[in-house]
Amino acid sequence: MSASNGSISSPYSVALFSGLWRENPTFRLLIGLCPPLAVTSAVKPALTMGLSVIFVLVCSNLVVSLMRNLLRPHLRIIMFTVTIATFVTICDLFLKAYQPQMSEILGAYVPLIIVNCLIIFRAEARASKSGPLISILDGIGMGAGFTIALCILAGVREILATGHVFDIQVMPKAFVPWLAMQMPVGAFITLGLILGLINVLTRKKES
Amino acid sequence: MSKLKYFVQQSWLLLVSSFFFGLLIAVTNGALSGRIEQNRIAKLNALTKALLPDAERFQPLDTDIEVQLPDGSKEKATIFEAFSGDGQRIGFSFNARGTGFTGPIELVVAVDKDFQKLMGFSVLASSETPGFGDQIKSDYYRRQFINAPADKLMLVKTGSAAAVDSQIVAITGATVSSQAVVNIVNTFVTQIRDQMQKKGLIGNVGQ
Repeated sequence: MSASNGSISSPYSVALFSGLWRENPTFRLLIGLCPPLAVTSAVKPALTMGLSVIFVLVCSNLVVSLMRNLLRPHLRIIMFTVTIATFVTICDLFLKAYQPQMSEILGAYVPLIIVNCLIIFRAEARASKSGPLISILDGIGMGAGFTIALCILAGVREILATGHVFDIQVMPKAFVPWLAMQMPVGAFITLGLILGLINVLTRKKES
Repeated sequence: MSKLKYFVQQSWLLLVSSFFFGLLIAVTNGALSGRIEQNRIAKLNALTKALLPDAERFQPLDTDIEVQLPDGSKEKATIFEAFSGDGQRIGFSFNARGTGFTGPIELVVAVDKDFQKLMGFSVLASSETPGFGDQIKSDYYRRQFINAPADKLMLVKTGSAAAVDSQIVAITGATVSSQAVVNIVNTFVTQIRDQMQKKGLIGNVGQ
């Protein structure tokens, strides 16, 4: 988990950048896989979900970090959950008020961020052991890595399922949409193939 | 007494932070609930207005009308009376719901002022299969309900979708979803019509 290869060494940059690739929550750690499978049928909801997760992650990391010295070991998980639930509820209300259409598409998956193990994992592994600044950077980095992963998945699925992204036509007119990509099966297949590709790439890099 | 002291010692952080988190949520909710409610009404109005283009104003109907759903449960119907710009009653709209192929389907149904014919329906919420069942939202399917008699409709596999009659042509590959919509419309339209006739809110023209 620590930075051993020379280029990134300061704890702050490690906290910020490790989530993007080396410890990418979706592609490398395979945690919090519910949203990547559930809300990636189009890029816009995926992006909304990603930004919501960044907000919740940064806020909960900050609060947990500030109260880390007061935590009782056997009550820490319930404290994490209460904190996360608060920010998820606030985020859900904001989406309902300012992005009603996205809120409808995401449906139950916004409240379900509460039980996303990525956030509770960061609270446990980082925020409850480090200062506020590192915790915030960690939240931004991990959240950004998660958002990028969601958008890659959603981009592939949306292009293949509809032929366009953000309402911009990218495939030739003759392209026949793969409707299966819009269904759950499309999420599993795309995620599996991307994971395989990334494993091949990293193995090559290591050897 | 020492037990109480131990309890407070262990859990004061949880108690205090729960209070503040609750306060935070309450404030956010107070600030946003008006907007959320407005969004909901705006969406319903936009959908209903698409069905009743002449309507200028919607007013909730103040009666107790209960609809018995196929599963035996009873639900209070929310009926809106639609008025044109010069105060003429031009129709009614109400929410209707039932079970589709993959989950609940919620519709807004509009009828004319005498409950003689349907003015159409819109889908408020559904999770039907993309590419198949979700075609219940398509104009092709929905157009068949416009001007159809406000009585028992029937789903048929073959026939003319253009004909204005009580026969609704099913969507290819989505018979269950098509049937679900027809059932929901039948359940709500006939029961609401009968009860409104009994209460004398509309004439007995068709009987």
